This record gives sequence, structure tokens and C-alpha cells, in this order.
Amino acid sequence: MDTLLDVQEIHTFIGQYHILEGVSLGVPQGSITALLGRNGAGKTTTLKSILGLTAPRQGKVVFDGRDLSGMRSFDIAALGIGYVPEHRAIFRDLSVEENLKIAEREKGDYTRKSDMIFDLFPDLKRLITLSGANLSGGQQQMLAIARALVADNKLLLIDEPSEGLAPVLIEQMMKVISRLSVESTVVLVEQNFLVASQLAEYFVIIEEGKSVKSGMMKDLVNDHETIHRYLGAA
Amino acid sequence: MINVIRKNLVLWLTILVLVIFFVMAARGMDTEDWVITLLRGLSVGAVTFLVASGFSLIFGLLDVLNLAHGTMFMIGAYVAWTVYVRPDTFVDLLAPGLLLVSGFMLSGLWDRLREGIRIDGFLRKALPWMGLMLAAVIVVLVFRRFPITIWDVGNYAQSPVTYSFMADQGLLVLPEGEPFEEISPAVAAIGLMAGSLIAGFSLSLFKKSTQANLKVGWRSYLGFFMVALVGLAALFLNDGLTAFLTGINSNWLFFLAVLSAVSFGILLGGVMESTLIRPLYVRPIYQLMLTIGLSAIGIEVVRAIWGRPEFVMPKPAMFSGTGEGCPATTLADLVQYHCSTIELLDGRIRVYNEIFIPVVGLVVLITVWMLLQRSKLGMIIRAGVQDGEMVEALGINVRRVFTLVFALGVGLAALGGALAAPSMGLSNVMGESLLLNALIALAIGGLTSYPGAALGSILVGLLQQFIIKYGAIGIPIPFTEIIFKPTPPLVPASTVLLMVIILLLMPNGLLGRKE
Amino acid sequence: MTEKTSPTVNSFVSQNRGLILSLLALVVLPFIVGLFEGASLGAVWQNESGTSKFVQGLAIEIFILAIYALSYDLIFGITGLLSFGHSMFFAAGAYLSGILLKSFDLSLGMTLVWVLVIAVVNAFLFGIVLPRVKGITFALVTLGLGSVFHIVIMSREVGDYTGADVGLQAVPVPEFINPATHRLTFYFVAIVLLLVVYFIYKRFVDSPTGRVCVAIRENEDRAKMLGFNTFYFKIVALVLSSVTAALAGTLHTLYQPIVSPNTAGLGFTVTALLIILIGGVGTLNGALVGAAVYRLLDFGLRRYLGESASFINGAIYILIVLYLPFGIVGTWRMQSAKITEGRKRLLKLLKLEK
Repeated sequence: MDTLLDVQEIHTFIGQYHILEGVSLGVPQGSITALLGRNGAGKTTTLKSILGLTAPRQGKVVFDGRDLSGMRSFDIAALGIGYVPEHRAIFRDLSVEENLKIAEREKGDYTRKSDMIFDLFPDLKRLITLSGANLSGGQQQMLAIARALVADNKLLLIDEPSEGLAPVLIEQMMKVISRLSVESTVVLVEQNFLVASQLAEYFVIIEEGKSVKSGMMKDLVNDHETIHRYLGAA
Repeated sequence: MINVIRKNLVLWLTILVLVIFFVMAARGMDTEDWVITLLRGLSVGAVTFLVASGFSLIFGLLDVLNLAHGTMFMIGAYVAWTVYVRPDTFVDLLAPGLLLVSGFMLSGLWDRLREGIRIDGFLRKALPWMGLMLAAVIVVLVFRRFPITIWDVGNYAQSPVTYSFMADQGLLVLPEGEPFEEISPAVAAIGLMAGSLIAGFSLSLFKKSTQANLKVGWRSYLGFFMVALVGLAALFLNDGLTAFLTGINSNWLFFLAVLSAVSFGILLGGVMESTLIRPLYVRPIYQLMLTIGLSAIGIEVVRAIWGRPEFVMPKPAMFSGTGEGCPATTLADLVQYHCSTIELLDGRIRVYNEIFIPVVGLVVLITVWMLLQRSKLGMIIRAGVQDGEMVEALGINVRRVFTLVFALGVGLAALGGALAAPSMGLSNVMGESLLLNALIALAIGGLTSYPGAALGSILVGLLQQFIIKYGAIGIPIPFTEIIFKPTPPLVPASTVLLMVIILLLMPNGLLGRKE
Repeated sequence: MTEKTSPTVNSFVSQNRGLILSLLALVVLPFIVGLFEGASLGAVWQNESGTSKFVQGLAIEIFILAIYALSYDLIFGITGLLSFGHSMFFAAGAYLSGILLKSFDLSLGMTLVWVLVIAVVNAFLFGIVLPRVKGITFALVTLGLGSVFHIVIMSREVGDYTGADVGLQAVPVPEFINPATHRLTFYFVAIVLLLVVYFIYKRFVDSPTGRVCVAIRENEDRAKMLGFNTFYFKIVALVLSSVTAALAGTLHTLYQPIVSPNTAGLGFTVTALLIILIGGVGTLNGALVGAAVYRLLDFGLRRYLGESASFINGAIYILIVLYLPFGIVGTWRMQSAKITEGRKRLLKLLKLEK
């Protein structure tokens, strides 16, 4: 299996703060990889560093055989990376349709993909003229994911999709994400270990800005010591 | 409906109180007085809005509090005056100006050339600086020998004040154009263009290699040829062009003046953002200081070029008729005789100040609103106001949008200045007072809200004009014999007070978004 | 020489070596300048006019500016409140002391008491809006309050007291510090005041209260989460700052023959901001360095360039903003690796991510 994304020992600073002190991860094509770790370990920063939103100062990120160092983040995104940020960061002042249209990378992306998107998220079709501010939390999360699907993305970076959602919605979300992984590769940041362990095939644990452990998810599930040590949960 | 009202109870109550306040204020006056005060308020509001709207767009999207915005307003006014009263100077400057710009139109080509450069180390770092210096030397050498017919701020008879006065009286005589002496026009043109091309390439060299595949669109070449061609035409057909401009109808000249001011503003804004503001996005407070510094520099430049005394730009013929049939009593008269004033509801109203300016304000309001709501660019701007990082993560070059919005904002301010030049006059301090007005208007309306900018500006304009009017006629205090006359200092104080009250009631302004 | 005190004295000296050296230099400065001109020490002592007296005057202006800039550094640099109405604190002190001395014939002591009271009131006036408005809105509200004050001072109705747009003139100054006849005394009084303010501020920043103020600047929500009533700490900083600025204003009134209404304008707040930007935001001694650089630069440029000075001034600020982002003191400190190390440790301790 090919490696789609290869992150090699990146160090990222925010202001003077040294946030990532050596994170490495390899993401095989067509897989779901979960980034695990405690609050503030640097998972979100890792996603942002891949996209160049917080450019790493050392180390490099290779995506699809291409070294991303020095590239501007919109150029990186245009290579085919979709980003679903935490806290459901949709555009509140834009309608649902505009939220999707703004993600067009080529003219007509939205028309081309709308059937597929509304098939995944039937709710959104009903809400198409509503402004983002008027959606419920779950609907906003759906929209955030849908937005990342408008353009042809080879890689999806999804940050905390289950955060603050009701259990029913979490299940729906999980279904959607596992369906997505058929066509694209997914890197998932997830606090809820139960969700992560059911979705992902691979895992990487980040602790204090370093990637400390990685492997197959099915091995981790039985490794209670590691879970307890790094994730603090059973 | 009820829900909408309940949700924004404070807002509706505040607006209700304000409306009642203004109705009461109007009822205390004669019809002619309140009509004219209302229209004047709208006029001041419209000019304030032109500054405030650009300011608000820039602050909303870029998070830059551009305190040089008032100075941009002032520069717009002075540029418009120059084109309108001294078209010969304008034509003289047009040629070198356009030739200097031309080299930067090819930035796409420069970027591609840069990718091809295979030098490393010290030379690669020194190259852009050397290029810039070379360009500067060439441009300075050539430009010093470029003949530009201009006024003399030191000599009263040839000062802008005198030219302005003569133009208003219809007695304007432009001085003889200066010929090329030490240098042939062709050499001058080649020199300036070469300087511009070198400078454009050198600036591109400052950027690091991006690895992105760069395509040079035909538009880039077309832009270059158009600009260079017009520049060369202005150079070689100088006298003819001047004669043409002095010959045409003053309405058209006025239109050209406003257009030039706006273009100059857009250019200035673009250059400012891409060279000075851009390195400072990570340090917002420093941007603030930078804009304050730029503002001081701008005022000094204006003083050096146009001098300190105030003067007024004459109104175009369309709004300055005074002869037969004036003041107009009907719209037909107005159209036929181009009257400067019109009789409306017992009051005599100046057409340019009190009708034309508010109308332009309204047109701009609607145009920019449509741009924001209907176009892809508007969509990106609205999204970027909330979360620029996310827009970038979608693969959109936000920086380019930033530059565009900054340029547009400064262009709007310049438009305001150009329009205000015939009504408010030109002075070194016109920008400062307007900036304060605009700031207050924005704080009232909501800092990043575009409709808020309009509402706030109108409120500020109305309040000021009503206070000024009451300063003349006095307010009888109820149950007493005292007639209170607001003094001039109360005019700015009243708007400030309104701002503080509204901010205490609604910390985000009337239409600002609650965080 | 007791063994107990000498280490603390030693560490005090080594920590403040630069400060002590510059203080010594400042103490001998009037005499050295006098000597260069050929004036005797006695002549300098007697306040005879000459270069020495002129240099003292310039230095006094710098000291006053430094006190004023320190007060701004406390609320902006340390506590992180961006205020555009700070000049009101200064001007309130300047005008009040002038009016009390001139129109009400109060003694200097009583005047100071009143200035203190009004300064505290001013601080609460600014502070009252704090729970409602934050960030740039606070800046605008303070700008509004400051502008109203400026306008009131300028208005003709109170012109008998304030001198309206001309400014407050002919304030009777107690003879013992009259800057015309006893400038050297004034010079030393100003130095001592500056020192006192500086050390109080340094103590304040190192105190638990001061550390909470810094925490508020860094992340107010975090400070709140830790259980601090941030409003209280902001008010404390505002009061201290207001009192200091009013003191600087009083000194200004005593020193200058005329108090211009410009001291209440936005421009004067910007001056404070410029000074601490030049020196380094939040560094305290940056305010001292910045005040000196600012005043000397302004003086030098005006002297040699005349009218176009503000043009060059503006250009220099832009260069500083672009290329010296942490100010003179800030950049200096950044150079020393020690600080960076300490910061790293602190960061690890606090586990800060954002």
C-alpha cells in the first residue's frame, strides 16, 4: 500500500512557544488514521502543520510524493487536502449553499458533487437557504464535512467530529466517515476513544508535542497499559 | 416577526428612542429648517459612510485598524482637485506615472523567471537589493529631468489657492507647458520603463521560491501593453491631451477627476497593503502604529506639494448654474438650467451638497452590498471576516483578497475625498476629523458590519447637523425661560456621547455580531 | 559590612547595573556639560543660564515623558488593555494642578492630594466600562471619554480656568522648584520621582497582583478559570497607572510655562504608545529608553530639518515597527539566551499550547 501522507519529524512554533517537538506519521492510501492523545498534546497543531496553516520550522511533510515545505497553505490545500476544523467552523454569515459553493476549486464542482453530498447528508438539502448561524450543532458538523467534499480531495483532515454531539448523531457521523474512506484517505483527531477505535485502522499517539507510539488500531485496543498511560482512559 | 423583535429588544428600543429623538428635534424647527438639516445630515453621513465602509471592510477582513484612512480620504480630494483644476499637471504626471507602474503589471512573468534562477547564497540575497537600487538610481536620474508644469506653494500668485479661485471665477489661465531640455522624450520613456521593469523583477526576487506551478495569463501581458501604451501616448501627445482636457465640458472633467482619485486610491491601497501591512499581520498593534506613521507622512507630503492654506474645488457646471430659472423650483427646471440650488419645501437646497452626494452614497452602498452578497469575491470576503484561516484551508489565496479589499477600501475613501472636495473644501486636517467621525460611526453601527457602517454614519451626520442647527436657533428648555444654544464643541462631543451610550448598551454596536 | 546584607546588595547591583550606571551619569551630567562649556561647577549650581541649564531642561522633559510612558506600559504592556484615552489621565493631573495652584491658591501639598483623588476617580471612570467592553471596543470607549475631556478643556465656557485652545498659562510655581530659578533642584526632584515610580512598578510587576495582570494580558479566560476576579486586577492597574500619569501631568504643569490642550488629545496617547513601542512593550525600562530616544530624536530632527521633521519622524517609526518589532529593550533581551531558556521552562511548567 502506498503512503499518501508522510510527516517527518516536524517541529512547529506558535509565537515563541515550541508546540510540536518532533511528530512523525505515515498515512497509507485509503485508510483512516486516528491521532490520539490528551488535550493540548498537539493533535490540532499537527493537522494545521500539514496544511501549512502553522508552518513547521523543521522537518518536512510529503504529500502524494511532493515535499510541501515552503508552500503556502492555499497551494497545499489545492493539491487535494480537505480540512474539517474543530468546533464546527462553518461560515455563519453564509447560507448552506454558499458554504458549499465557496469550497469549489474548479467551476462546477458543486453542481457535480451535490447529488453525492445530499445523498450523504439529506438534511442539508432541506436547509439549503438557511444561514450557517441558524443550524444546530449536528447540522453544522455535517455541513463542515460536506464542505470538505465539494472539491476533489485525496486526503481529509477531520478534527474532533464527535465533539459535543448527541450519541445518535455520533453514530450517523461515524457512518459517513467510514463511507468516505472508500474514496479518500482520512486523518482523524478524536478524543472519544470508542469512536476512534471503531473507525480507524491505524493510530498515532501524540504526547507533549511528540509522536510517541503508532501502529494498528486492533493492536492498541487490547493494549490496556498504553491506553491507560497516554490516553488516561480504560 | 415578534420573535425577531424579541431577539433584538435592545436594538429595537435603541432605534425607537433615536427615531423619537430625531422626530422631536425636527418638530422643534420650521419646515425649511428641518428639511435642510436632514439633508445636510444625510450628506455628511454619506461622506462619512464612504470612509467608514472601506474602513469597516478592511477591519473586518484583515483585522487592520487603518488609522491612515482619513489621510487617504484627504489624498483623494487633493488628487481630484489636481485633475480638475490643473489638467496640464495631470497629463504631465500621467506619462511617468503609468510608465512606472507598467513594470509591476508583469508580476506573473517575474515570478516565473524567478523560479528559473539557479543562484544560491549571498548573491541570491543581494540581487534584489542591487536591482532595487539600480532601478531607483535610473528612475531618479530620469525623473529629475522630466518637465512637469506645476504650481508653486511658495508664491501666492501661482499657488493652488489662486488657481482654485481663478477656476471658480472662470478666469483660469494655465501656465505654458515646459519642454524637454536635458533629455529626449524617448530616452526618458525608456529610462522610466527600464527602471520599472527592473524594480518589478527585483521585488519578485524578494519572495522565496514557492514551487507552485505558475502560469502567466495573457491578461498580464495585455495589462502591461495597455498601461505602457497609454503612458507613451500621454508622453508624446502631451500638448494635445492637455488641450483636449481643458477644452472639454467641466462635467466630464469632474468625472475624470473622481475616477483618477479612485484609481489612485486603489493603487495606493494595493501598494500599501502588499509592501507595508503584509509583513505585520502577526503583530496587530504594530500595524496600528504603522498606519499612524503613514498618516503623519501623508499629511506632510500633502503639505509639501499642495501647501497649507485651505481652498475649495469649484463645482462642475452641472451643479453651478445661477442664472436664468434658478433657483429651480421643479425637477424639470433643475435639469434644464443646471441650477446650483433648488427650492424644496420652503428651503433652498444646494443640489451638489445635499442631493448629489447622498445619492452617490446610496449608489455606493447598494453596489458594494450587491458585490458582497452576490459575487464569489463577496462570498470570500464575508467568510474571511469570520475565519480567514479556514478560507485559506479551502485552497483560496486569501492574501490576494486581502490586497484587493484594502485597495478597494482606500479607493472608497479616495472617492469620498474627491466628492467632498467641492463641498467641504480641501485642507490638511480634513482627514483627521473625518476619520474620527467614521470611527464613531463604526463603533455605533458595529465595527465589522457593513449595514452598520451605513446606519452609524447617518446617525453621526444627522446628530451633528441637528446640533449645529440648534446651535443657531437654540433649544427652549421645558418649564423654564432658558434657551440653550449648543456650542461648537458640543458637536463632536454629542456623537462621542452617543457612541459611549450605545457601546455600554450594546458592546458590539447596533448591528454588530454578538461574539 | 555585615555578611547578611552584602549578597542582596550585590545581587541588586548586578541586576540593575545599567540602571545604576545611567543614574550616576545623569547625576553628574549637568556638571559635565557645564564643564565642557567652560562654566564653573558653581555656576551650574547657581542655575546660571547656559548649555547645562538647557540640557537639564531637555532631560526633565524626558523624565516626565518616561513617567507618563511607564504608566501607559502598565495598563497596555503589562495588563494588556489598549486604551486610546490615556492622555486624559495625564492632562487631568496637569490641568487640575495648574487650576488649583492658579485660580484657587492652594498649596502644592493640597494640590497633590486633590490630583490623587481625581486620578483615582478617573481610573474608576475608565474601569466602570470594563466588564462590558473588551479589546478594540474598550479602546474606542476610552477614546470617546478622552475626546470629551479634550473638548471640555477646549471649550470657551471653562476658558477662564483652562485657557481654552490657547492653553493654561502663568501657573504660580512654588519658588523652591521653580524651573527658571531652581532648575537643578527640579532636575533632581524629577529624577527621584522617576526612580520611585520605576521601582514601585517593578515591585508591582513582580508581586502576585502584577503576575495576575500579566496572566490577564496573556489569556484572560485562563486567568478567570484560575479563579481570579480579573476586573479587580484591571482596576488596580488602572488606578496605579492613572495616579502615575496624573503625577507626570503635575510635573509637566510645574515645568512648562504653558499647558497645551494637546496633552489631552489622542496624539499624546499615541506618543505614549510610540515611546513604549520604541523601548519595548511590557518591559518597563523600555519606557525609559523609549522616552529618551523619542524626545531626543524629535528635538534633533526639528533642529536640523525644521518643518519636514514629522515626515522623517513618521518614516523612522515605520522602520522601527517593521524592523525592530520588540523595541530596543525587548530586542536586547531577546538576544540573551538565558531569557529564552527561562521561558521554555515556564512553558513546560504551565503546559501552554496556545
